[in-house]
Parts: sequence; structure tokens; C-alpha cells
Amino acid sequence: MPRRSVSAKRPRLQRVPAPLRRPPAPARSTRFRTAHLIATLHRVSEVLETVVEADQAAWAALVALTAGEGLGFNRAFLLLLQGDELRGLFGVGPRSREEAAAVWAEIRQREVRPLERLARPDPLVVEGERVRHADLLARLSHTVANGCAGWRRAFVGRANHPNPCVRHWIGVLDSEALAVLPMMSSEGPWGVVIADNFVTRAPIVPATLEAAQTIVHALRAALERTRLLDSLHEEQRRLVAAEHATTLLETARTLAHDLKNPLALAGGLARELVNAPLPTGDSLFKHLAIIAAAVQRAEERLAQLADGLASQVSKVSLASIEVGQVVGRVAAAFQPLADSRGIRLVFYRPARELVAVAEPSLLERCVENLIGNGLEALREARTPAPVVRVAVFENADEVHVEIADNGPPLPGLLRADPFSGALSGPRSGTGLGLVSVRRLVDAMSGRVEYDEREPGWVRFTVHLRRSG
Amino acid sequence: MSTPCVLFVDDEEGLLELYTSAFGREGYRVRTAASLDAARTALAGEAVDLVVLDIRLTEGSGLALLREIKAATPRLPVVLSTAYARYQDEFSSWLADAYVVKSSDLAELKRAVRRCLGTTG
Repeated sequence: MPRRSVSAKRPRLQRVPAPLRRPPAPARSTRFRTAHLIATLHRVSEVLETVVEADQAAWAALVALTAGEGLGFNRAFLLLLQGDELRGLFGVGPRSREEAAAVWAEIRQREVRPLERLARPDPLVVEGERVRHADLLARLSHTVANGCAGWRRAFVGRANHPNPCVRHWIGVLDSEALAVLPMMSSEGPWGVVIADNFVTRAPIVPATLEAAQTIVHALRAALERTRLLDSLHEEQRRLVAAEHATTLLETARTLAHDLKNPLALAGGLARELVNAPLPTGDSLFKHLAIIAAAVQRAEERLAQLADGLASQVSKVSLASIEVGQVVGRVAAAFQPLADSRGIRLVFYRPARELVAVAEPSLLERCVENLIGNGLEALREARTPAPVVRVAVFENADEVHVEIADNGPPLPGLLRADPFSGALSGPRSGTGLGLVSVRRLVDAMSGRVEYDEREPGWVRFTVHLRRSG
Repeated sequence: MSTPCVLFVDDEEGLLELYTSAFGREGYRVRTAASLDAARTALAGEAVDLVVLDIRLTEGSGLALLREIKAATPRLPVVLSTAYARYQDEFSSWLADAYVVKSSDLAELKRAVRRCLGTTG
């Protein structure tokens, strides 16, 4: 929840109830105010340039707009264009004057500084804001009409504004003056952010409006990037699926050809022998020889297929690799995602090299699965102070890669044999991911274990044979 | 119509043996070709009334020959006979007059041959 900073020295605020007053602040010159706005813009821009999730981008921008040490709006809402509707998606701030009094007093008492947590918001709080504003956001949604969303510049709307969307929002929010901050790209309108001071009734000055518009531009760019990332991930998933499908199709054709041909031949000739008039001795012998050869060919092809499948494992070329480096690379790749979800991803490796027999790409996939599993579990469980711990260490014979998280334990059914392929509940996708982990570890002649020995922690440990 | 002549194209010599025996007994004149080139040679020689064509051949796809046949002699019926049922989904296979999945039971292939020859008179 954004922190209020309210100046008691400002005469127009003297009639505002005590909990809603801004705390005493130094006299703010224009230069001070400008420097303050620039600092806020700089801070939120840094965050918006790196976020990878739309929720977090929306949160960062709206908090910057509403925080006391930010732009100081009382509340703000994000509406995005979906089809022919501007749909309310996210909101920050109190819903009523009473709520504002209670919440801002608590924020002041606890000295919460929302801008300091812009980059790592508490997922619980973010989700809480979404739920809290769900009803209001639904009411703010409006069909695009008469140029709604086509604005190019920020403006302050009032009850007599000619645009029906603006009048609708002012009506829903019971607002006297509303900052309307359009989101526009070169391809057209994206949506709008609206913000007001319905409690403090502070005027919306041009400098604040301009700064707010700058934040909203940065938000639009961030949302565009998260959409692009999502579409790239989706495209990647589709390509992988297409490659798998092509391979499977070719395998099916080969199997049909290599197995069905000899079987059809053997069976067909056998039927001929049953149905046809008894052939001459030579002919009978010839047919039987063809049948025997066809059956033998089918047997040999089956054996080749079985060997081929089994040899997929032995085709893995194992080598001596520095495990800490590989695992560290994967952990670093996950760091932005963990940060964006407010999850601490901690990686430990000793200074010395830990060399084991493995295959780098298999080990990477294995660690990716396990870290990804931990991050997903923590996101779904909404664990307070969520942590994923990745550590590499060794004993006399093995190098161990440990991935632990303080999320919920595996479901009972899965716990008996986590790597069996049984599907899970709270940890979505865990079952199949763990099957994959076991196969990957098996292919490296290692082993993987699951335990909950440390209270509150779920831990997977990959054991790899030490090299040298 | 005199005794119909059917050309079987398949790289599985044993199957050609089977077709010769089974369709010979049905009263057809049977010609066989174990490769695409042999099939082209056979088609350029004696006139045939129908072609039974495998798709997956050692040196290429029977679908290529199917297109050649239909380009040169559109009225010559062609029955595709293959081990893999899903070739039916391939657009090129739609040129064929019939599609039969290989089986040790030749009844369906025989029915398809009869039907195609009947429709062409």
C-alpha cells in the first residue's frame, strides 16, 4: 500500500482529518519538487525496464503514481484495451475516505516506503490489491466510444468532460478531477491509466501530470515487452512441440513400414496357403521360406528398435565438467524471474572447482526443471518470505546439487515416489517435470533424491559421480 | 473388357510374390515392379488397366509416381497400398482412386481393385 506524505503546512489541507494529513515536510521549492519528480521517474523507470511480468509492471507504475514519496495521487487504475473495451485490470490505493484514513495511518506508523520495494513487491500484497479493487475495476470498464483511448496527451478530466468514458470514470470514482494518462504506441491505443486525489482533493498540477504521463509511457513499453516475451515463450513452446511431432510422425511411418510390411507379407502368404489349392512342393517350400524370412526380419527390426531406444541413454557423451559453473549459469538465468516474483533465489558454491562426470546440457535442463519447479510452487503457495536455495557441494565420491524451497511439500501420493510420473496438485506440473529430471540424471549415471528433513523445506538433491 | 492387367509397385519382393499369386488366382494379369524406375518402364511398355502403388519405397516416394501417372494418364486408376494409414491425410495422396492399408488379409485390396476397374469400365 502506498505511503502518504502529506504537508501540514499547506493551508488547503488544514480541514482534512488528521489521519489524512501529510506529515510535516520541508518547504518545497520548485527546484526541490523537480528533483524529487526526476528521482521518482528514475527509480520507476529502472524497475520498468527490467520487469518480465505484466502484474509487476502495473504494480510498479501505479505505486509510483500513488506513493507519498512518489507522485502522491490518492489512487490509480490501469485499463487496457481489449477488443472494443477498455477493461479495468489493476488498481492501487484506498477505496473510500474511511479506508484511506485507516490504511495511511498504518503506513505512517509502520514507516512503510513503497518505492523501496518497487522491484521486489510482496506477491501477496499485489494479489490483494487486485482482489480488493476487482469490483471497482469491473465498473470502470467501458466500451470504447467517441475517441476513448485515442488520446495522445495527458489531461485532467472533470464531470462536464465531453468524452463519455471520462464522465463514466468520474461517475464511478465519484471524483472531482481525474488525471487521464493515455497509453499509445505507434500502432495505436493500448489503454489508459486514470488517477485522482479523491481524499486529499489536492489539485493535479501540470508538472505532476507530465511526470505521470512519463511513467505511463514507461509502463506501456514494459507491458509491450512482457507481451513480446510471452509470445516468444509461446512460439518456442510451439516450435519444440512441432519438432517433437515431426519426429514422432517419421518414427510412426518407419515403424509402420518396417514392421507391417513383413507381417502383412507373412500373414498374406499364410492365408494364401490356407485358401489356395495345394501348391506344388516347390511352391509350398518357396512360400514357407518367404514367410520365415519375413517373420525373422520383423523380429530383427523389433530388436533393433528396442536396442535403439535403450541406446539413447548411452549416446549421451559424459565428460568431466565443473558443476558449480553450470548450475550457477542456470541460477543466474532464473534470477530476473525470481526477482519479479519477489522470491529470493540464493546460490551457493564453494570457491574451489567441483568436477563431476556429467553432460552440461542435460545438467542444465535438470537444474532448470528443479529451480522452475520451486519458483512455481512458491508462486502458487504465496509463501511469506519465499526462498529458493541452490547449492553445490561435495563429499568423497560425489558432487551434490541441492535445490530447496520453502514452499509446500509434495502431495502425499507423489511423495512416496516423486519421480514416478504421478501428477500433482499444489505443485502444478511437478510430476512430469520430476520424471524428466530422473531420466536426465539417469542418463548421466547419477541419482536424484527428494527429502523434507529440514522442517519447512522441500529439497531435491542430484548426486553426480566425482571426476578425477 | 479382356483380362485386366494390374501393375503392383512395391519394394518388398515377397509382397510382389504374394500379389502375383493371389491376384493371378483371381484372374488378373499381374505385372510387378520393385522400384520406381521399373514401374516407369512397365508403364511405358504394355498397357495396364490399374496400378497398385506402395508409398514408401526404397529410392523415393510413390506419391511422386502417382502424380506422374495422373499427369500422363488421368483415367488410369491407381490404388495406394501402404503400411501407414495416416498418409491419407497428405494432400498428394488424394489424387489416388483408392487407399488401402496393407494387411495380411488382401480382401480390402481386392475389393478396391474390383471397384476401381468397375468404375472405369
